[in-house]
Amino acid sequence: MPVGYSIYVEKPSYVHQRIDPRTKLFALCTSFVLALLFNNPAYLGVLLAGVIAIGLWARLPLKSFRAYLLFALWFLILGVVIWPFYISQGAVVLRLGSMQFTSDGLLFGLAMGLRVALMVTAAGVWMMSTSPQHITLGLLRLGLPYKAGMALSSTIRFVPLINAERATIIEAQRARGLDLNRGNPFRRAVRYVAVIGPMLVRTLDMAQSLALAMEARAFGARPGRTMITEIRLRRVDWYILIGCVLLIAVAVTFRVLGIGVLVRGYL
Amino acid sequence: MAKPEVVIDVHEVSYTYAPALPLALDHVSLQIHKGDFLALLGQNGAGKTTLAKTFNGLLRPVTGSVTVGGLDTRNASIASLAARVGYCYQNPDHQIFNRTVYMEAAFGPRNLKLPPEEVATRVEHALRLVGLADQRDAYPFLLGKGERQKLAVASVLAMGSPILVVDEPTTGLDLRGIRSIMTLLKQWNEHEERTIVIITHDLHIVAEYIPRTVVMAQGKIIADGPTRSILSDGAVLATTGLKPPQITRVAQRLGHHGIPPDVMTVDEMLSHLRTALGSDTRARSGQPGRSM
Amino acid sequence: MSDPVVHIEGLIFRYPDRDPVLCDINLQISRGEFVGITGPSGAGKTTLCLCMKGLIPHVIGGTMRGRVTVQGMNTRKTEPAVLAQSVAMVFQDPETQIVGLTVEEDLAFGPENLMRPAGQIREAIPRALHTVGLTGYERRETYRLSGGQKQRVAIASALMMEPEVLILDEPTSELDPLGKDEVFEVVRRLREERQVTIIMVEHEVEQLASVADRIIQMDHGRIVADAPPREFFHQAALLRRTGGERLPQVAELLLALEAEGYVEPDDFTPYEEEAVALVDRLLQRKRD
Repeated sequence: MPVGYSIYVEKPSYVHQRIDPRTKLFALCTSFVLALLFNNPAYLGVLLAGVIAIGLWARLPLKSFRAYLLFALWFLILGVVIWPFYISQGAVVLRLGSMQFTSDGLLFGLAMGLRVALMVTAAGVWMMSTSPQHITLGLLRLGLPYKAGMALSSTIRFVPLINAERATIIEAQRARGLDLNRGNPFRRAVRYVAVIGPMLVRTLDMAQSLALAMEARAFGARPGRTMITEIRLRRVDWYILIGCVLLIAVAVTFRVLGIGVLVRGYL
Repeated sequence: MAKPEVVIDVHEVSYTYAPALPLALDHVSLQIHKGDFLALLGQNGAGKTTLAKTFNGLLRPVTGSVTVGGLDTRNASIASLAARVGYCYQNPDHQIFNRTVYMEAAFGPRNLKLPPEEVATRVEHALRLVGLADQRDAYPFLLGKGERQKLAVASVLAMGSPILVVDEPTTGLDLRGIRSIMTLLKQWNEHEERTIVIITHDLHIVAEYIPRTVVMAQGKIIADGPTRSILSDGAVLATTGLKPPQITRVAQRLGHHGIPPDVMTVDEMLSHLRTALGSDTRARSGQPGRSM
Repeated sequence: MSDPVVHIEGLIFRYPDRDPVLCDINLQISRGEFVGITGPSGAGKTTLCLCMKGLIPHVIGGTMRGRVTVQGMNTRKTEPAVLAQSVAMVFQDPETQIVGLTVEEDLAFGPENLMRPAGQIREAIPRALHTVGLTGYERRETYRLSGGQKQRVAIASALMMEPEVLILDEPTSELDPLGKDEVFEVVRRLREERQVTIIMVEHEVEQLASVADRIIQMDHGRIVADAPPREFFHQAALLRRTGGERLPQVAELLLALEAEGYVEPDDFTPYEEEAVALVDRLLQRKRD
C-alpha cells in the first residue's frame, strides 16, 4: 500500500500555486516570532484565528486542523494546570490547600496553550500548502548547496518506502510469532531488535542502490545543476514580505510598550 | 473416499485497506484441505497476498470469517496462528537479524515457546532440508542472496506449522534456484504432509509442480480447480492478463491434429507427439529403416 | 567488426578480497545491435554491465584489468559524467532507481546533472514519455506508479541522457506478468524506432529470443556462448550443463524431437510461431 510521503495536499488555491515558497517560509517564521512576542491569550487567539483563516483561504479542509488543535489542547490543559504555580499576580480565583490559583495564572496557561496551537497550526498550514519540491527549491534558491537539497528531497522521496518496509518487516516477524503487544515496555523494546535489525539493513541497501543509480545519471559530475522548475518572487510576494516585516516591527513595539503582554517578565 | 479435512475455511470474506479504496477482497470463499498444494495466481493487486494474510491473522476480515484448524482468526492470538500457519516472505532481508544461521532459524520455534530440545531438533532438520546444515554458525549477512533465501525458508519450516504460505518463491532466481526451492516444497508437501499455498505469477512452476490452482482478479476468485484445467483455459487467464505457458499455447494451436488442449509440460507434449507421429519412418525426415 | 560501439578486451575483475567475478571477457558489440545476456546467478552478468557502464571502476571498488571501450572512450580513463552521455543503465529494482518525486522530476534528473539547458530538458520529456507509453504522466507522483510503470519511467529517464548504448539489468525480475509485458513492449519499440544499442540481461528467455539479435551466455565469469537466438538455443547440451537458464519451451521441444529423429537440425527454431508451423507440418505430413 503506497503511503504518503508528506502531508502536502494539492489544491488549486492562490496560496498553493501563486506564492513563492520562500515567501511562505518567511511568513511562517513571522508567525513564530509573533507567537513569542505576545503572551496575552486574546492577542494569541486572534493570531491563531488569522492563521486558520489563511489555511481556509488556501482551501485546506477544516478537519485537517483538527490534529494540530488537539495536540495543542494537551499543552493548554498542561499550561492551565502548571503555570498558576509560577504566576501569582491578579485576583485569586481558586484555593486548593496551600496553593492559590489566580486569574492571570490561568490566563497565562491559556496563552501558552494558544501559543503552541499557533505555531503548530502555522507549520501545518505551511506544510500542507507547499509541495516538497517547492520547499527544496526554495531552500536551494536561498543558498542551500545542491547536494544537501538532494539529500532532503531523497529523504522525502523515501519516507513512504521506508514506512512500507517497516510495515512489511513487522508483519514478517509477527508471522514468526513475534508479539510486540505484550510484556512490559522494557521487554517490548528488546523485542524490537527483530524489527530494527532488518530495517537498518534494508535502509542501507536501498541507500546504496539509490546512490549507484544517481551516479549512473552523473549526479555530482558538475559544480551546479540546472533546474527545470522555476520559482520567482512576484509583486504579491514582495507585498507579503513587506507586510510581515511591518507586522514584526509593530509586534516588537507593542512588546516594548507592554501591549499584548499579560505578564511582564515572562516570554 | 471422504475428502481430507478442511484446514482453512474462508467464508464470504471482504477486506479493504481504507474505506475510500475498492475492496481488496470481495466476498471471497475458499476451502483448503489438509495436504493441498495450491497456487494463488493473479496480477499484482488481484488480492492474492491480501487473502493469504488472512490465513495467519495478519489481516482480519472486515466481513466474513476465516477459520484455521478450528480457530477463528478474529479471536485467535498471533502465536496460536503462527503455530498453525507459517508465512514465508519473499525478501529474506525482511526477516534476518540474528548473529548466526542457527539462531535465525531458531527465532520462530522459540517464539512458540517450544522446549529447547524440540527447538534444536526442528532447526537442525530444517537447516538440513535446505542444505544449510554446515553453515549453522555462519553470519547470515555474509551469505549470498540464494542462501539467505534458503535461510528464510528454513526459519519458517522450523516452526513446524502444518500449513505453509510462501510468497513468490521464485522471483529473481535462476533455473537452479527455482528447481531447488520447488523440489523442497514439493517434498515438504508430499513427505511431511504439509498443506502448502504458493503465491505466484510464474506459470511455469505452477504447471510443473503445483496440482491445484486458484486464480484471483480484482479481489475475487475467478477460478479454482486442478491446474491442468485452469492453465489450459485461455479465456479465464485472459481476464487477468495472464497467458498459458508457451507449450500449452502450442498444444492448443495443434488441436486439429488431436493434441489435447491441456498439455502442461514439454514432456507431455513430446509423448503426445510420439503417439501421433508414431514409429513410422515416413514421419521422420531422412532416417529410413530406423526403428523405435 | 568495424568500429564496435562496445569493445571489451581481456577484462578481469575482482571485488576486494574475493575471487574474480569476471575472468577474461572479450566482447564486441556493434552499433544498433540488441544483445541479450543470460546465465545463472553469480555468473557475473551484473558486474559486466557495471563495467560497460563505467560504474566499475569509478564508483565501485575492486581490481580491474583489461580494457573496456565505449564509443571509442576507455572507461577507465574517461570521467563518469562523459561516459554517462554514452551509456545509460536501467537497474533491477524499480524502487531505488527513481529519484524524483514526480515523473517529470525523475526524467529531468540526469540532464539536470549534466547542466543541460532547462528549455531543452523540458522539450525532451514528452518525447521520452511517448517512447515508453506514458504520455501525460509528467505530474504523476512516482510512488503511486505500478512496478511496470516505474521501470518504464526508469527507461525514459535513461533515454533522456541521449545515450548511444542502453543497458538493462534484469529489468523485469521484480515485475508481475503485466509489468513484464509493458517493459518488453517498450524494448521492442526501441529496437524498431531508435538507433540505440541495447544490452539486456534477462531470465525471460521466451521474450528475449523474440527481440534479441544475439544472445550471450555467461557462467562463472566467462562468456560460454555467443550467437543469434536460433544457434544459441540449439546448443542445448551446453546450456543444460551450465544449468542457469530455461530454454524457451518450444526450443526444448524441438531439441527433443531432433534427438529422436523427427526433425532436422536445420529446422530448429526458438520462436513460437515458427515452431507451431513446423510441428503442424509434421503432423500434417503424417496424416497425408
